[in-house]
Amino acid sequence: MPDPAPLPQDEPLHGYELRVVREVLLALLARDSSHGYQLRARLALALGPLARVLNDGQVYVTLGRLEKAGLVSSRRVGQTDRPDRRVYELTPAGHHQVTEWLDDTGWRKSAPAEFHLKLVAAAAAGLADPIGIVDRQRHELLIALSQAQRAALAEPDGSVAALLLEGVVLRLQADLRWLEACARYWNSAKER
Amino acid sequence: MTSDQPVLSASGLSKEYGKGAALVRAVDDVRLHVAQGESVAIVGPSGCGKSTLLYLLGGLERPTSGTLQLAGERLDQMPESRLARLRRHALGFVFQSYHLVEELTALENVELPALLAGSSPRKARERATGLLEDVGLGDRAQHLPSALSGGQRQRVAVARALANAPLAVLADEPTGNLDSAATADVLRLFEQLHARGQTLVVVTHDERIAATADRVISMRDGRFVDETKLTGGTARSLTEMAGLEG
Amino acid sequence: MGRVLLTWRLAIRDIQRRRARSALLLAMIVTTTTTLTIGLALHKVTDSPFARTRAATRGPDIVAEVGAPAAASPGAPQDLAREFAPLIHARGVAAVGGPYPITFARLTTRHLNVLAETEGRDVAPAAIDRPALTAGHWISPDGAVIERGFADALGLHVGDAIDLNGRSFRVAGIAVSTAQCFYPVSTPGVIWLTRPDAESLGATAQPTNYVLYLKLDEASDAGAFEDGDAAAAFNNGTGNDVQSTLTSWQETEDSDFKVVSVDQKVLLIVSTLLALLAIASIAVVVGSRMAEQTRRVGLLKAVGATPAMVAVVLLAENLLLALAATALGVALGQLVAPVLTNLGNGLLGTPPTPPLTLTSAAEVLVVAIAVAAGATIVPAIRGAHASTIRALNDPAHPPRRRPALIALSTRLPVPLLLAVRLVARRIRRSLLTVASMTIAVAMVVAALTLQHNDEVRKQVSLVGTTTVAGRVTHLVFLLTAVLIVLAAINAIFTTWATVIDAQRPTALARALGATPRQITAGLATSQLMPGLLAACLGIPLGLALYQAAGGHVHQASPPILTLLAVIPGTLIVVAALTAIPARIGARRPLAEVLRSD
Repeated sequence: MPDPAPLPQDEPLHGYELRVVREVLLALLARDSSHGYQLRARLALALGPLARVLNDGQVYVTLGRLEKAGLVSSRRVGQTDRPDRRVYELTPAGHHQVTEWLDDTGWRKSAPAEFHLKLVAAAAAGLADPIGIVDRQRHELLIALSQAQRAALAEPDGSVAALLLEGVVLRLQADLRWLEACARYWNSAKER
Repeated sequence: MTSDQPVLSASGLSKEYGKGAALVRAVDDVRLHVAQGESVAIVGPSGCGKSTLLYLLGGLERPTSGTLQLAGERLDQMPESRLARLRRHALGFVFQSYHLVEELTALENVELPALLAGSSPRKARERATGLLEDVGLGDRAQHLPSALSGGQRQRVAVARALANAPLAVLADEPTGNLDSAATADVLRLFEQLHARGQTLVVVTHDERIAATADRVISMRDGRFVDETKLTGGTARSLTEMAGLEG
Repeated sequence: MGRVLLTWRLAIRDIQRRRARSALLLAMIVTTTTTLTIGLALHKVTDSPFARTRAATRGPDIVAEVGAPAAASPGAPQDLAREFAPLIHARGVAAVGGPYPITFARLTTRHLNVLAETEGRDVAPAAIDRPALTAGHWISPDGAVIERGFADALGLHVGDAIDLNGRSFRVAGIAVSTAQCFYPVSTPGVIWLTRPDAESLGATAQPTNYVLYLKLDEASDAGAFEDGDAAAAFNNGTGNDVQSTLTSWQETEDSDFKVVSVDQKVLLIVSTLLALLAIASIAVVVGSRMAEQTRRVGLLKAVGATPAMVAVVLLAENLLLALAATALGVALGQLVAPVLTNLGNGLLGTPPTPPLTLTSAAEVLVVAIAVAAGATIVPAIRGAHASTIRALNDPAHPPRRRPALIALSTRLPVPLLLAVRLVARRIRRSLLTVASMTIAVAMVVAALTLQHNDEVRKQVSLVGTTTVAGRVTHLVFLLTAVLIVLAAINAIFTTWATVIDAQRPTALARALGATPRQITAGLATSQLMPGLLAACLGIPLGLALYQAAGGHVHQASPPILTLLAVIPGTLIVVAALTAIPARIGARRPLAEVLRSD
């Protein structure tokens, strides 16, 4: 798993930072450039009620960081120089980052938000088929479930480690269920 | 039958219901080979046709088109009585709602296939007793199904499916009616069967049961859309899954 | 008021929803109510036709007859008539008619050849026994008057040409009389001729018998007269070769209506059988739908109905059917009864159809309700007291376990294994089936016994259709047919109910490897076993029934082989009836049954 682009460490992080916000913003810019406020709006749409956790300005701060990291570039439009009015677009390094993110099948505790946004972004960017992403992830999780379950069943009766493995299994099962729901949604979205 | 000939082999298998505008393709051009000792799980959303497929494989329904072979014999054209006789020794069934006979004890339920196949009462009983021991219900042999929990009933059903040492066991949503504890019992059983080399085809929407198989095939709208091999493939670190590693 | 309305509405809706089943139940009860109505109607047949005819024809109070045996030494005709002396001068005799000569002659036409009894009379109207003409004129030379019942049976009309012992006559008229029992109660039929004509018919130009009519001072004394001295003197005074008979008018009347009383007895017995059969059949029909009913009970109780009201709702539907069946049965019975109460035109005027009295209708209603209630009372009460939750969640009353039968069945071949287990699941239904089949078999055996009755055979071969015993035979055959139809419907329905009730276990058996043929055989055998038991029980029961209806088994004694043949006969019929539902049941698509739950 490639390391995310190194962040400038001088600025402290405020509020609730979603690592994934960086990747999603990059992906949302993959197809064409966009105003800052448009990006914020699309992100809010994708997160629904959970968009409340987005600080005001959270998006713009991240955009600023991405620009500093050389993954996006921006230009001023019109008179004002407010970040929400600037137009942002991806750099080649940014494109590369997006592709790698979409291909990554790592599964972190921050799922489902990250995976969900990955799918949204993939669909918006037209870079990859969300259903393919879901399928690939399902394969991985299924194999993991199988291994965890076999390990759990191989434990002797009364083993406390079996409990931990059971926990892994049940979470993976829950994740797989959700992936099934994702597949259903994105399938019917395709038909619409 | 040689060991590299598939136990079950379906090609172009389809099942249609209704006519004209109301035509429904429950199973649409399915191709499946199940090798001896292989365990295959078929998963998919409800209504995708997986149960219908299983019933076709078991000769409990006739396909609209396509060929189906079991142990080298063609099932799709076989007359009903020959099919029944073939089922006696070649197939075992496990159903979602167990389908145990309510007024028979667990032991009497398990010996039923042997009796229907013409076995002597004593032999049937001996074998049934052994099978119940295998599934861990030896002490409940004289209980009626109503006195057994869901998981226990399904284990009796599995024992029954094994009564005539079938070539393949076909299971339709075996944990559909069970809570998680009972599911765990049945899960263990399926793992055991798999480890013993029993050929299994399981239709399920429970990922845990699917995870006991060698292959997981996804089905949607009557067609196979995806397949995952659970043996081999990348080994994702368990520690990472458990959250021990960041 | 609201509760009554609700009960009414529930009952009506349920009847509408299950039309076929309601029609079946209705048909079963209607057979009972119809037969019962007819039986009751016959019971009320009055003797007015006889009294009316007797008055109109000045019928005799006493009829005395003397007759020499066939190959008698020809004494002078007057000799025979002298035997009447004690009677003519007896005390209490008001008037005397005759003696009239009686000759037995063969009546022949182009199509007919029967024995007839000719009576020689005066052309002038007699004082006693003046036959009332219903067509044509009284006798004249070569002009014969035929008894009406006889004429109708032979299809003869005024003006037809007949031959008596070879001599040609013309039918001058048709008349009725109460001097003798009317044809076909008494055979041969009577033909009146002029004295010379009658006498000329004798083989030796001498009449065989003489008949004398007496009118008494008091008509009601006829019975006493028969036991009196004059009668004794008459009976004893006749020589060894001479036969003498003395008949009072009451005896004639009784004989005339014997046919009715036999009919009536038969009808009452059969309607009892039909009622029992109907109860058994209805119990099976109701029992097979108990799961639905139990759920209804649960629903009603969950919304606040008391156990009593629940029972009423369960019964209400069947009681409504009983009401409808009573109305239908009474109407049908009133239509059909005249056919039986009409005694073949032997007397003046057809008896009026017995009016439908309120009591008869009430009696029929009570029986209908008893039948409907009898079949549903047990499930209704049980349902009313069942636990509400169990009723809602687990409505099907699970089959009882019979370990002995289950263990036994393991040693049997597959079809028998299935059959025994199917019977064991629902023992009560199997017993009900046995009961209904036994009733049908018993009726068949009684009919067979009747058939073999020697008298019947003799009489039937003599004149054809309408003798007393012939009427009874026809009635019995008709009712046997009705019973058999009812029992057949019951057998088919029971098989169907078994098929539905056992569809999961049989589907399972097929999935586990039982062939459709094994399943069909098992289903059919599960009805054949009750059939076998029914046949064995039905044979002695049928003979007992025959005896109860007034027949004598020793007289009739059908051959043992015929009786034993009833057993395989029953089995074949049951197999034929149950084969189709069994086959359908054995070939239902497996997947449907196994998939759902």
